[in-house]
Amino acid sequence: MTESQPPGREAARAVSPGRALLAVLVGWLVPGAGHAMLGRLRRAALFFVLILGSFGLGLAHDGRLALYNDKERFLTGLQLLANVGIGPADAIARRNVYGEVAYAIPTESDPRYPARIDTFRKRQRSAVSAYGTAYLWTAGLMNLLLLLDVWDIAMRRKD
Amino acid sequence: MRSHFGHLVIYSGIVAVFFAVLTRRDRREQLKFGGLVWLGMAGGVLLLAYLMLPFPR
Repeated sequence: MTESQPPGREAARAVSPGRALLAVLVGWLVPGAGHAMLGRLRRAALFFVLILGSFGLGLAHDGRLALYNDKERFLTGLQLLANVGIGPADAIARRNVYGEVAYAIPTESDPRYPARIDTFRKRQRSAVSAYGTAYLWTAGLMNLLLLLDVWDIAMRRKD
Repeated sequence: MRSHFGHLVIYSGIVAVFFAVLTRRDRREQLKFGGLVWLGMAGGVLLLAYLMLPFPR
């Protein structure tokens, strides 16, 4: 039995699991693109603007690009997850901030240690870093939520 | 921007619009839910700030 869609509503289409996974992947690569792939163009555009807007505000306000630390595995792991949720934009930001795509604090014997710690602490000491970090992590977490939404739409659990 | 209030307005606005569009489909429902979320966040912080007023730093 097919569900009748109210006029003006975006039609729900059956999607194969492979295509659903692809939509999730595309949604991670570009925020909102997963929704666009499933035909939810207006929502996709709005999510794109909201998430990248939040991400941009975060970078502009010296938001913390978390580095994994062996001494605080759980917390820094969660911080990293919130950062990475935004997709490759996080890697580009790290390249610009740290000079390379860095995800962890190197050991003290590593020659990269002083520069990376210095950059990290400089941003952390900024007067607006707390705001920036909230924007950055919110952007990443919102994008992760969107991926679940994309999956649900693809599986026809929601419109 | 260093205005704490400015960031409160912008941040709660982003979160409110996001969750309104994510969880509601009808435009009127989105406006209602988004408005409630925004008011809850911005108003809640202002209320908390007011309650903390008598306490010194």
